[in-house]
Amino acid sequence: MLLRPLSWVQLQLGVVLAVEKRINSPLLEPSSVEKIKEIDEHIGCAMSGLIADARTLVEHARVETQNHRFSYGEPMTVESTTQALCDLVLRFGEGDEESMSRPFGVSLLIAGSDENGPSLYYTDPSGTFWQCNAKAIGSGSEGADSSLQEQYNKDLTLQEAETIALSILKQVMEEKATPNNVHIARVAPTYHLYTPSEVEAVINRPMSIRRKSSLKILPWLQRCFFSSLQCKCTSLFVC
Amino acid sequence: MPILLLPSTNFKFFPPKLKCVDMKLDTSGLESTSPFFGSGDELCPELSAAPSFSLPLSTDFDEFQKDTKATLKHAKGTTTLAFIFKEGVMVAADSRASMGGYISSQSVKKIIEINPYMLGTMAGGAADCQFWHRNLGIKCRLHELANKRRISVTGASKLLANILYSYRGMGLSVGTMIAGWDETGPGLYYVDSEGGRLKGTRFSVGSGSPYAYGVLDSGYKFDMSVEEAAELARRAIYHATFRDAASGGVASVYYVGPNGWKKLSGDDVGELHYHYYPVTPSTVEQEMAEVAGA
Amino acid sequence: MTKQHPAWSPYDNNGGTCVAIAGADYCVTAADTRMSTGYSILSRDYSKIIKLADKCVMASSGFQADVKALQKLLAARHLIYQHQHNKQMSCPAMGQLLSNTLYYKRFFPYYSFNVLGGLDNEGKGCVYTYDAVGSYERVGYSSQGSGSTLIMPFLDNQLKSPSPLLLPAQDAVTPLSEAEAVDLVKTCFASATERDIYTGDKLEIVVLNKDGIHREYMELRKD
Repeated sequence: MLLRPLSWVQLQLGVVLAVEKRINSPLLEPSSVEKIKEIDEHIGCAMSGLIADARTLVEHARVETQNHRFSYGEPMTVESTTQALCDLVLRFGEGDEESMSRPFGVSLLIAGSDENGPSLYYTDPSGTFWQCNAKAIGSGSEGADSSLQEQYNKDLTLQEAETIALSILKQVMEEKATPNNVHIARVAPTYHLYTPSEVEAVINRPMSIRRKSSLKILPWLQRCFFSSLQCKCTSLFVC
Repeated sequence: MPILLLPSTNFKFFPPKLKCVDMKLDTSGLESTSPFFGSGDELCPELSAAPSFSLPLSTDFDEFQKDTKATLKHAKGTTTLAFIFKEGVMVAADSRASMGGYISSQSVKKIIEINPYMLGTMAGGAADCQFWHRNLGIKCRLHELANKRRISVTGASKLLANILYSYRGMGLSVGTMIAGWDETGPGLYYVDSEGGRLKGTRFSVGSGSPYAYGVLDSGYKFDMSVEEAAELARRAIYHATFRDAASGGVASVYYVGPNGWKKLSGDDVGELHYHYYPVTPSTVEQEMAEVAGA
Repeated sequence: MTKQHPAWSPYDNNGGTCVAIAGADYCVTAADTRMSTGYSILSRDYSKIIKLADKCVMASSGFQADVKALQKLLAARHLIYQHQHNKQMSCPAMGQLLSNTLYYKRFFPYYSFNVLGGLDNEGKGCVYTYDAVGSYERVGYSSQGSGSTLIMPFLDNQLKSPSPLLLPAQDAVTPLSEAEAVDLVKTCFASATERDIYTGDKLEIVVLNKDGIHREYMELRKD
């Protein structure tokens, strides 16, 4: 399965997550495909890889964050939540019959906002995590990543971040972006998953930045082609 | 009493093998799975991430509970009430906690905010209520995250009743009302530590409840405005604090409507008294006057 | 035939009194240093106050063996917290943790009566007061232990502020300067020592403010 989550940090204001969800068949109910999930009111998560594995991880993170609230009466920091997730990721093969026999085949982008401001973390199936200002994962992520490098700066507004995230997503998508195949969420400072009409508003928003970057679309498509091949390889390894 | 005790005939011990009797706290869906502090058979079980209730080594658990209850005197004594009316649910409570004859606090928050659409009231042991309501709060939140919709009042009250039932006979003391607004409209349940769970439209719990019921039953109508209902609730709490020595402090009134709960008022009952019974300057019948020429 | 056994009683009361007062930007926590059992004084210099985190201290009276166990458990929990979260625990977080820790011993309680004093995330003074099984409340001032019934009415008289439950809400922070609060604490311990046999010998005062933490002592009656 090919997924294209994409994320954006805006240091003062919040984090934006944007994901393409592939609707392979017109018979598929779009709302049943979830690629962005809420972990707690201040943390959201976008996923790429085996979605069933991600569900286990997200459920674990939800329990961890609620447990932290119960124990200390405060929200869990984004870094600690990421660390808690990576602890679970690293725990396959340990112990007796209950443990996982294989690693989790999923990468996550964990976006949140805590006492240190908004932040974005990226975890991979090895259980390593990095903090990023902007990050793309999934097929087409390499092209999207370099585009993020060009366009990211710390002074973006939330609206600009939305549009840039979407425009980069569009460049690596094979189909036309619609409210049905794009998911956007923000954490600013609380999690909010955009409704289809809110997504549509972002899609229809005219943007100068988008036009500027669309000039480079040809090298992008080439790079995307390679990266999607790589992504397929990764999936094979994981399965 | 000496601190160093020898295991003489005065003391009953379990054989050493059974010494570490740990009972699992019902935190289903709560347990941390942190890899560093895992299973129970380590040096310090209190540090394990999955907390458990430790039990005394006494062979006579009931007698021990009776003794600790007598020595520790947990905070109790209360008036709480809640009723459903046309516009939603009205919830009210006093704020006094007493340990025997001593007032240990006049500012206890007896109406616990479980989530923006649900309230719980607190009567009985303060710690029991606080702890299990918070526990209920996170269970409701996990339910909400998993199902993308808020839990019903029916469901939440059942969660709490099931937990309390599982500890039945161990000495928990909880008398609570779960009030809220869900997809079916206003909801109100009474739940207690003996395992009882009742659906209803009008409840009062605590040592002051007979007095509160008196006012509530005489003034209750289904067709009331929010203001009328709030006034009825406040009046019932005030009269209970007036007659019940174990109730007092501040009368808090909350309203739960379609948009969640809102605190409507918090009045010191000492001042409410003069609101209900204004002091009229007594008419002077005779005045001492200086006798002329004395 | 069968001998009547007295009930199993693992508890003792070592007495002692604790007081904490929260101010706008400071917190004063104090306790006497006498430890007794029955009519015997076991120690005249036993500290009841422990620093749990940078901005959080706990004063405990009751059964000092249970208190010691509780202090060690909280210290260990705090160390784990620092390793997991790369920060000091805040006073409100420690307040919640203490409540849970006490409640997990609901059926075999710690016989300890605690007050937690510290600074919250905004730097305001905060005081949490507990019963033995973990019910807790944030207050402006509190007293626990054998002399609490003598001191609490006095503090109510001097410091009583509008209840936090009132609506419209009124600010409930103690309107005293730091020096005045320390003086008040000294006065109420001097008074309690006059009438409580379990309070006396020495008073230990811990002041927390934006500059950090400092301790001072005052001698009390030793009879």
